[in-house]
Amino acid sequence: MPIEVNNLSYSYKKGTPFEKQVLSNINLKINDGEFVGIIGPTQAGKTTLAQHFNALLVPDQGRVIVNGVDLAEKKADLVKLRHNVGYVFQNPDYQLFEPTVGEDIAFGPRNQNLPPKEIENRVLEAMAQVGLDYDTFNKRDIFALSGGQKRRAAIAGVLACKPQIMILDDVTAGLDPGGRKEIINVIKKLHHEQEITTIYISNSMDEIAALAERIIVLNQGQVLFDDQTGEVFLHARKLIDIGLELPEVMNITTRLIEAGFNLPGAILSIDQAVHAIAASLQKGQVDA
Amino acid sequence: MELTKNITLGVYLPGNTLIHTLDPRTKIVATALLITLLLFIKSYLAYVLFLILIIAILIIATIPPGYAFCGLKPMLPILLLMWIFQLFLYSTPGATVIFSWWIFSATDAGLHMGNLISMRVLFLFTVTTILTLTTSIVSLTDGLESLLNPLKKIGLPTQELVMTMIIALRFVLILAEELDKIIKAQMARGVAFDRGNFIQKTRNLFPVFLPLFINAFKRAEELIVAMEARSYSGGKGRTKMKTLHMGRLDLLAGLFMLLFSVLVVYLILTIPPAI
Repeated sequence: MPIEVNNLSYSYKKGTPFEKQVLSNINLKINDGEFVGIIGPTQAGKTTLAQHFNALLVPDQGRVIVNGVDLAEKKADLVKLRHNVGYVFQNPDYQLFEPTVGEDIAFGPRNQNLPPKEIENRVLEAMAQVGLDYDTFNKRDIFALSGGQKRRAAIAGVLACKPQIMILDDVTAGLDPGGRKEIINVIKKLHHEQEITTIYISNSMDEIAALAERIIVLNQGQVLFDDQTGEVFLHARKLIDIGLELPEVMNITTRLIEAGFNLPGAILSIDQAVHAIAASLQKGQVDA
Repeated sequence: MELTKNITLGVYLPGNTLIHTLDPRTKIVATALLITLLLFIKSYLAYVLFLILIIAILIIATIPPGYAFCGLKPMLPILLLMWIFQLFLYSTPGATVIFSWWIFSATDAGLHMGNLISMRVLFLFTVTTILTLTTSIVSLTDGLESLLNPLKKIGLPTQELVMTMIIALRFVLILAEELDKIIKAQMARGVAFDRGNFIQKTRNLFPVFLPLFINAFKRAEELIVAMEARSYSGGKGRTKMKTLHMGRLDLLAGLFMLLFSVLVVYLILTIPPAI
């Protein structure tokens, strides 16, 4: 299910004195099986863009085509589309409402009118995928969950619909480092094992660098960069200028480059950095 | 989908116009006066006068009329229903029947009543909206508090009452924004709000209103903590950063409102009611 966006523009509160253009003239294509990170400073239009992918928002101008179907067309089956393009919101409290975890995860499949046995299987599978133990959590009160568990329950609720594309909208915000790691591992595993197309929205460069194969950088409603992860980080200066941070490792390597080390421009993991620095030292290429 | 787009009640449209700079007390009293007048109006001519006044205010305050009236949109179905009820159910002895169908018959008295009541609701809403559009929350609070001051003497906790009212007004928009997000989150899991029969549609309200209420309580609690953390302890001994000041403009506005009221009262007294 490829997503194609052509000349997309969108204004918030159109026709009122508070009208504000959020997206202008966006063009992009997301292919099957990709892991795309969408990053940008606050108010860059990340969420607005992603909500066009499953027709929660309708473009003012331009077209969004998912699996060959223009979402603005009358005959487009949006309910079915939303099961295929899962969307996990930043705040799980907007989504969870059933008394128990199991029932809430079953909510999506129930909307698909599946037989009870199949719903049961979906819940079991989804809980296993996000690492919530079925026996422990199935009957657990939804309000007795920790922040990280709530996020996982919310992700499971979307996975139970069996999406082919999954949009994760800043799902690690406000979690402690342990909770973040858990969620990231779940997402990584899903992408590798199920080959779900994953669109990951975040403010955190570290997360995006560790996860995404391709990065779309949004700034003021426009696509600033759209490239392979390594390539995007070559524009370190520009990224900092628009208010983003570099991955932790690159803060050090960029300084070393400035100090005369001969290192590649984009280094995304500590291992990579160690090897590059060692190689550079061995060759004695340090000018300083 | 944007729910907050059509919500104008409780929204402040910042500006620097004559209307914006008036003392909040002037605006509140004027609004109260207009509301009182609206309750007594029974002639179309008086409504025309009101419409002229409102359009004049909108122009002076540079509020786009389209925006000022878009808040009415969600109310239209209810108004229409009300109008139909009046049309068929209200009648006076001696009223002429316009048309009848089955056991219902519409009289000219019912038609007038329907028109007048619908217009009354429309104008009441517009007048209040103009007040909040041109007055910031802070000055609205200060103005109301100052006006209610005399009631303090008889032991009424005016400051607390005003604070409660203002918070309620603020929450209209906040809750609408939350509702928007919740609806989207449930639509993303395949709820089709526009499909199904009555029972299914009613059932679809649960996944929306449960999270909304829970979040509203949570927000209220957070607000309490945030206020207490800044040592809010009610009105006693509280001082103001901005003191209110009535100027010449307020006097002029007051005189104008008085003139307008006299004119409307004259119309109310002289023109025989349409019914």
